[in-house]
Amino acid sequence: MPKTHTLADAKREQRRAYWTLVLPGFLIYISVMAFPTIFSIFLSLSDYSGGKLFGGKPVHLVGFKWYQNLFSDEYFYLALKNNMWIVFVSVFGQIPLGFFLAYVLYRGIVKFADFFQTMIYLPTVISTVVIGILWKSFFAPYGAFPELVRLFNPQYEYGISNHPMLPVLFVILWMYTGMYLIIFIANLQKIDSAVIEAARIDGATEGQTLRYIILPALSGVLVTTAILAISGSLKSFDLIYVMTAGGPANRTSVLSIYMFDKAFKGAPRYPLANAISTVMVIISFILIGLTKWVEKKFGGRE
Amino acid sequence: MRDVKDTRSTRARINLGLTYAVMIFFTVMAIYPLIWLAMNSFKTTTEFQLNKLGIPRDWVLVNYQDAWVRGKFPSLILNSIIYTGITTVATLIFSFMAGFAFAKIPNKATKYIHGSFIIGLLLTLQSIMVPLFLIINWVGLYNSRLGVLIPYIGIAMPMGIYLGTEYIKAIPTALIESARIDGATYMKIFIAIIVPMAAPVGVTVAILTVTGTWNEFMLINILTSSDALKSLPVGVQKFAGALSSDFGKQFAALVIGLIPMLLFYMFFRKEITKGVAAGAVKG
Repeated sequence: MPKTHTLADAKREQRRAYWTLVLPGFLIYISVMAFPTIFSIFLSLSDYSGGKLFGGKPVHLVGFKWYQNLFSDEYFYLALKNNMWIVFVSVFGQIPLGFFLAYVLYRGIVKFADFFQTMIYLPTVISTVVIGILWKSFFAPYGAFPELVRLFNPQYEYGISNHPMLPVLFVILWMYTGMYLIIFIANLQKIDSAVIEAARIDGATEGQTLRYIILPALSGVLVTTAILAISGSLKSFDLIYVMTAGGPANRTSVLSIYMFDKAFKGAPRYPLANAISTVMVIISFILIGLTKWVEKKFGGRE
Repeated sequence: MRDVKDTRSTRARINLGLTYAVMIFFTVMAIYPLIWLAMNSFKTTTEFQLNKLGIPRDWVLVNYQDAWVRGKFPSLILNSIIYTGITTVATLIFSFMAGFAFAKIPNKATKYIHGSFIIGLLLTLQSIMVPLFLIINWVGLYNSRLGVLIPYIGIAMPMGIYLGTEYIKAIPTALIESARIDGATYMKIFIAIIVPMAAPVGVTVAILTVTGTWNEFMLINILTSSDALKSLPVGVQKFAGALSSDFGKQFAALVIGLIPMLLFYMFFRKEITKGVAAGAVKG
């Protein structure tokens, strides 16, 4: 008998329903994501050195000591430089390549588009750990890579590489290009194909159609993929941890590996590790802000 | 006139040929390493050392038998299924519930709570890894299934909330209002109307959660230490990563490690590509 419900009853039921629906997810989210994020900043400013979190040795705030520590460590800059290389390869390698492949498939220039797409995307779904060990064995001195090079250059001798980041960057390009292919194809398919056909009938070349119709329609997606690439690059951990663990002599270290080593290798240095992760978040916000600024300045006009 | 047309079509044909060559090149690049891996998993380690690039002379299965038993793969796969299954189901339920509330039940708190989930889309695992490790230790959940599952669910929530809320917003409010007039409670509406109507976006959320959780390595690696709790990626890393000279077994372990995702991809190819495109919303 809904008629007997008063307005206040209905309001109360509504409020109770709202919180019953929201709270389970929200509490989990708060406790494993929101709170740890804030806690991380607090830790980076403290002198916590392991042991009981509450009720153990008293924890004091020590200001920006760990940040100073960090900025005077040459390994921090080495890791940062490697991260920037990954950002570079992602933004200027994966995205253009992914776009090119998506464009060829979308325009129906080749047959078997479905087959090409399925195969090129395949590496992305496989666990990074499997990929990392596979390539580690492939590039190893006793692996297949030296053999393969010797097919073309019989004099090739395996030596310690002067550029240990090169294989890592190659694998990153290999693994994730398919993801950008998928994103671009999905967004290309949203463009009204009548517009493209009309332009072609009016005599626009393939290049002009691309330049004046397709690229402008995708400018928003380009920015989104750039942001994905930047934040993904700064996060890269699994692949490098498995392939090189940052070696030889930290030369393939990245910020996340550097942080992991400080927190979980040897004597734990949690405040320093949290200073690193805070710096990582700040860098990623700066780079994302920069991307948005570039978009505003140079493109994105409807 | 004819000449012009001829040269043009020749050029077009060359261009087309080149395009095919490029596409085939990238396809071969993408799958050759995997084929190389699969082929070598059937060689004995001795044969691999002599023949690193060719097909096996004798196809042997002994690597698989060894790796399956010594790598404890049955328990690793079972664990991964448990982690992924529970995380996916819980994420779906919680994010649909909250998404329904955000989209259809007016409340002043929505702006802030929903907003905090959206910020979560930008948070990285790195920034919570160390504090999470300390907190999980502090509450006594270190090295337990629950201590892995709760973080996994929390991490998957922002994407589920984002996609779920957007989708449920598009369900006509009139449907919900008429059910309300008929006296249905919000819980009844959730189960009878929202869940069935939001099923398509549920598939997307499930796909994203399954791929993300199944392949997750960093957190579970630091939150557990006992063999019985390891997931497939951690087990593969500990077992295959340590076999630096027993290649046959290492390759077999890697193949076993990639088969579940390969099957998943084969069955849900369309849904996965759709999900990836839908999930690319960060920023």
